[in-house]
Amino acid sequence: MNPNHVLLTVDAHRDLRLRTDRSPDLGDAVMTAIAMPREFRDVQRHYPILFRLDATRDAFTAYAMFGFETGENLFLDGARWDADYLPLAHDIQPFLIGGADAGGNRQVHLDLASPRIAGAAEGMRLFEPEGTPTPYLESIAEKLGQLDAGFAESADFFAALRRHDLLEPLTLEVTLNDGSTHRLVGFHVIDEDRLRTLDGVALGELHGDGHLMPIFMALASLGNIRDLVARKNKRIGHG
Amino acid sequence: MVNERHNKPDYMDATVERQVASIVIVGGGTAGWLAAATIAARADPAAPAPLSVTLVESPDVPTIGVGEGTWPTIRRTLSRIGIPEAEFLAACDASFKQGSRFDGWRTGAPDDSYLHPFTAPIDADARGLVAAWAASDEPRFAAAVTPQARACALDLAPRQRAMPDYAGALNYAYHLDAVKLAALLQRHATRRLGVAHVRDHVVGVDRCENGDIAAVRCRDHGAIAGDLFIDCTGHAALLIGGAFDVPFIDRGHELFNDRALAVQVPVAPDSAIGATTNATAHDAGWIWDIGLPTRRGVGCVYASAFLSDDEAAASLRAYLARTAPGADLEALAPRRLAFRSGHRARFWERNCLALGLSAGFLEPLEASAIVTIELGLDALLDNFPATRASMAAHARRYNDLFRYRWDRIVDFLKLHYVLSERDQPYWRANRAPASIPDRLAELLAIWRHQPPSAQDFAAVNEIFPAASYQYVLYGMGMAPPPPGPVRIDGHDAAATSIRQITQRARALAASLPTNRAYLDALRAERPHGIVA
Repeated sequence: MNPNHVLLTVDAHRDLRLRTDRSPDLGDAVMTAIAMPREFRDVQRHYPILFRLDATRDAFTAYAMFGFETGENLFLDGARWDADYLPLAHDIQPFLIGGADAGGNRQVHLDLASPRIAGAAEGMRLFEPEGTPTPYLESIAEKLGQLDAGFAESADFFAALRRHDLLEPLTLEVTLNDGSTHRLVGFHVIDEDRLRTLDGVALGELHGDGHLMPIFMALASLGNIRDLVARKNKRIGHG
Repeated sequence: MVNERHNKPDYMDATVERQVASIVIVGGGTAGWLAAATIAARADPAAPAPLSVTLVESPDVPTIGVGEGTWPTIRRTLSRIGIPEAEFLAACDASFKQGSRFDGWRTGAPDDSYLHPFTAPIDADARGLVAAWAASDEPRFAAAVTPQARACALDLAPRQRAMPDYAGALNYAYHLDAVKLAALLQRHATRRLGVAHVRDHVVGVDRCENGDIAAVRCRDHGAIAGDLFIDCTGHAALLIGGAFDVPFIDRGHELFNDRALAVQVPVAPDSAIGATTNATAHDAGWIWDIGLPTRRGVGCVYASAFLSDDEAAASLRAYLARTAPGADLEALAPRRLAFRSGHRARFWERNCLALGLSAGFLEPLEASAIVTIELGLDALLDNFPATRASMAAHARRYNDLFRYRWDRIVDFLKLHYVLSERDQPYWRANRAPASIPDRLAELLAIWRHQPPSAQDFAAVNEIFPAASYQYVLYGMGMAPPPPGPVRIDGHDAAATSIRQITQRARALAASLPTNRAYLDALRAERPHGIVA
């Protein structure tokens, strides 16, 4: 379905309800979600964080990995997402950050084509009957704010990584218990050897700009690849 | 109809060592089928002397089937019987009940309304709780101490469909079609639980030499013998009253209502379904209003000593004109029911236990009828008389416990009337000291200085706990107790909890579907709802 983005307003959406459960039918069968450096600390508790270069824009983006192939989410087990943290960019769906209003506040947009909206008479309300936002919408607004700030910081973060040449291509070959092999190509990771050679001045600069913590969090997240492989083995019945 | 010692077949040789294995239930209404299904479901088929359950139902006697309100205990009862919740909801046209709302009971003014919700107040010391509420800026006690008030105001369901059966975000019971409940229980009990169903008219009772009931004699099936007989014959009280002549204790001098005019009003398919039983006071009684998915049950309860049938009918019509403006009032023919508030002096006599209307009935306020049956069955099965020899001791304990419980129900129902400021003769008479049970009068004196607390209700499984009394007492406008000489502990903790109620209520209200959305979705999923 084509997206149908509209501005969220009390008048138009006072009685709207959304499905907030998890399901492949609701757009949760995805292999990755964009992750913001400011949330790496939470993301790395569950998911590997990999980087990808968008050649046309010559810009890197960070991804939390849920699977090894398109449409594969190894954290999704029926209606259950087996982790207590979802990357903001996935968690806020079907909401989007809109442009700024006259007062400079970012607006909240909503994708009316999302399966989370269709016929959700039993779902979560966005507004109370009186028109005030529900605690759910309040938390969405808070997350959208985090996401917006996260986007703004990302360019700086990746510029620093490139300045210090801290990204290296990753070729991951995974052999599953049934003997099959899967290759994950086109991603980058933090170059750990390069990171070790940085001097105090460089580290001080990275630290001062708030980049050092997410760098180490991304490095630590690679341990989750083992967990992802275990999930995959379990799913194919060789766990 | 009672034939004593006319001859002595084998089964009359009741020896005291005999195992209690054969249970005969007489009567096939709500009480009878609840008893049959509950006993059969809890019986152990591997027992040395497995229980057999036979229900004798007269094809001639129509069931009453008015009771449409239940208590949260019904969830455990249905779960134990083994009926899935969705099947129950669909088969019984049921909706969720989260408590009762009382309109006009204090003064009759348009804004005179309070709630008695099923969810207990936040867990706090009673004195700290009431003091913290009094210091808060929420004047309504229920809204201050439980998030359920907001859910009720918005006609929301207490649960989401994805939750496990009989679990909820808020405490709840059901409004239901009692005739359909009896039918569902009958199908389940006979097809799944092995209950024998005899459709026959009981024409007599055979007695043992010791006075026990040996058998009920039926017109076509002859004598049906048993070890324990359960009298579910309704007002007729065939066994407890007819055979044993256990006296009936009239409570009409405390609870005046003795008549009801009941109608069923069809509702529009997309209309809101209320979350509470609404009880609206009138000049000489009150009107119940219970929302099911397809209809509203509305009834005018009144005291014939204070209101004529015609006046009651006019009162009911006026209420319907106000609350169901589209309904065709001429087409609605109210059914008139007469009752006496009261109960047996004993409920378990020799080898006969009375459950349901045969044990007693108090006016329908707070829907105590079905819960009393459930508690009776719990008491029987938790203390099952394995042999005839142990029965006398169990009967004595049961009678003490249930006399206590009936007395407490009378106290609690009376509480709804005694704090009213309404000025009509009926309401003034309800406040006359002679009409107030001694124990209630004593508690009311105590509650001027301290809130109802667990110390006032010390028995195990009180039907109405201190929380219920708090909701009614402060709903009816009793002032919170003034500070006394003993320091109140727990005030700060309660105040913190009360401040969190608003946020919890908002979060719940956003996540819960309306009753209508929930029940329509259930029906859409189960188009042929009735499957036993």
